[in-house]
Amino acid sequence: MDEKEFNKMKVCDFEELDGPKSKEELDEMKMPYEEYCRKLFDVGNEFVKPEALKGIRWMSTTMYIFTPHSVANLAELGAECIKVEMPRMGDPMRHTSPFNEAYLYPLHDTRPMTGTGLGFTNANSNEFYITLDYHVPESKRVFYDLVKMSDGLTECYRHGTFDRWKQGYRQVAEMNPRFIYVWGGGFGYGPKIFGGSYDILGQAHAGLSSITGTHEDFGGHSTKCTNWCIDWYSGTQITSCIMAALIWRRKTGLGTMIEFSQVQAATRMCGYTVPLYGRFGIVRQRWGNWDTQLCVHGIIMTGKVDFPDRDNPQEKFESRYVMLSAFQDADFKDLCDIIKKPDLFSQYKTHKARVGAPAQMEIYKAIEDWAVDKTRSEVVKIFKDAGLLAAPVLNDKEVYESEHYRTRGTVRWNDDPLFGDVLIQSAYSAGLMSKTPRRHKWIWRPVGADNIKIYHELLGYPMSKVEELYAKAII
Amino acid sequence: MCDIIWCKKEVGGKVCDVVNYLDPYCFWNWEGKVGCAGCGAVYYIHMIQGHMYEGPIEKAGEKPDILPLYADKPNDGYDCYMPGVEGRTRPFECLPRAVYLGHADMRKFSIRGHPVRGWRPQPPAGGVAGAYGFFWDIEKLSPDVWAEYQEKIKKGEAKDW
Repeated sequence: MDEKEFNKMKVCDFEELDGPKSKEELDEMKMPYEEYCRKLFDVGNEFVKPEALKGIRWMSTTMYIFTPHSVANLAELGAECIKVEMPRMGDPMRHTSPFNEAYLYPLHDTRPMTGTGLGFTNANSNEFYITLDYHVPESKRVFYDLVKMSDGLTECYRHGTFDRWKQGYRQVAEMNPRFIYVWGGGFGYGPKIFGGSYDILGQAHAGLSSITGTHEDFGGHSTKCTNWCIDWYSGTQITSCIMAALIWRRKTGLGTMIEFSQVQAATRMCGYTVPLYGRFGIVRQRWGNWDTQLCVHGIIMTGKVDFPDRDNPQEKFESRYVMLSAFQDADFKDLCDIIKKPDLFSQYKTHKARVGAPAQMEIYKAIEDWAVDKTRSEVVKIFKDAGLLAAPVLNDKEVYESEHYRTRGTVRWNDDPLFGDVLIQSAYSAGLMSKTPRRHKWIWRPVGADNIKIYHELLGYPMSKVEELYAKAII
Repeated sequence: MCDIIWCKKEVGGKVCDVVNYLDPYCFWNWEGKVGCAGCGAVYYIHMIQGHMYEGPIEKAGEKPDILPLYADKPNDGYDCYMPGVEGRTRPFECLPRAVYLGHADMRKFSIRGHPVRGWRPQPPAGGVAGAYGFFWDIEKLSPDVWAEYQEKIKKGEAKDW
């Protein structure tokens, strides 16, 4: 092969590749990895870096958690997101709060004694809040003006409602062909098209609740995750659809309609359940705090709690659970030695032998019997000292106090421009990015707080018109 | 998970007939004596992995280790003992925090001693169409909270975490 031919084969030149150009650069490359990561991600200084989605404008005509969260993801990545709510009322999610207790006031000028509940948290961070009543014919023009100025919207109304109101994808695509339109809801088109959605419906209808919780033989029942895991998960799935649609638009110049069924999305979380049924006709069952593929790999309960003298029941009664993993043969042998049951290892020498259901029942019982006179931290220490993977099941307070999360900025205090000192995770719980990190700017704003910014400053409506729309309760 | 002890003890010529709910014994291995919420009879039980391995066996004259959480008489209308009835059921401890107030707690400082806003009522925005300013100038708009905050800083009560 002559040199000319050889050069033709090359796709890059090492001389031109990135590499240390100075001693400082070389030192940086030789940095210990931990130190390198700390410098690279520079937790706490996210705001000096650019935002990946700056320049994207997104309308959030959404309610509750699922669809709003798909937009909050964009807002945390730098998109300008406009949350559109019903005048004077706002998103119904604002009116939900844990045990009806934790609210931040005000909701709106006209309702001084009504607040926004903490249930609203994380699903609408960094957005601008405007009001618009779609039911009034005069609101159509306002809506279309927003569409023309935006890259896309996410909506959550019943299937076909926006289409009937002449503001669905078929209509808006003619006004703005680059528009990306997301419908997110319960079932999508099909036999159950008119079914609405809630997280719990997603968990139930997708079969997820049927495989969550303790097995019925141990007195367990179909269980939902206490938090709305399917809402958060489905919202994030929508965001990945939006990202793909944005790239598609860059290639073709055309928008997309995304039709996202929440109950459909939840089936993905069931893992092997579907092919298992397809091939063997076996309907998967619950296995609670244990694992169907690995043993030992579960959560056990200790006999004593870590904090018997605390007042808070979550600490006083619940600080007794330990996550434990020792499924490899050598680890399992160590575990059996620790709990003084060497015969258990003789009985279940291979993983195949111990992953069976009767074996798991015997093994976990033996571990819990051994742990009956020990606290959570004692059990964790004993296993960790032996080189096994064990961790306490933490509560919120312990997550807050965790040095690991503080180092990575996962949970942090934010000086919210309106609400003062707020402890948040939101943007910082979704991965670190070295060049364009997510960031949390504000938790939320009152209903219609940005009416002037959007209607007057962005759309150019004169203040007299804004006042008139407000007086007619259109905004 | 919820197992029960259905008390069939005869008291004064009548069957007690109270169902004692043992919830939550979720994946418990538990051994001890449970008192009936109706007649006070004491039953020994031994549960393994949530199974009633042994019992209920009546232990006359002994003291119970624990009371049921809830009890009712399904054959006798809607009579029930809610959690926390003195001497009959134990209290429900699954509260959101140590001191249950039952009403919103108007906080002016976060748990680390920095000022927060959000108590009610808040002054109206005063802007057109309900528009709000972007920044809450605590010193100007809530001077009392600001003054208290300065005191907290002096005393070292405003912490980083």
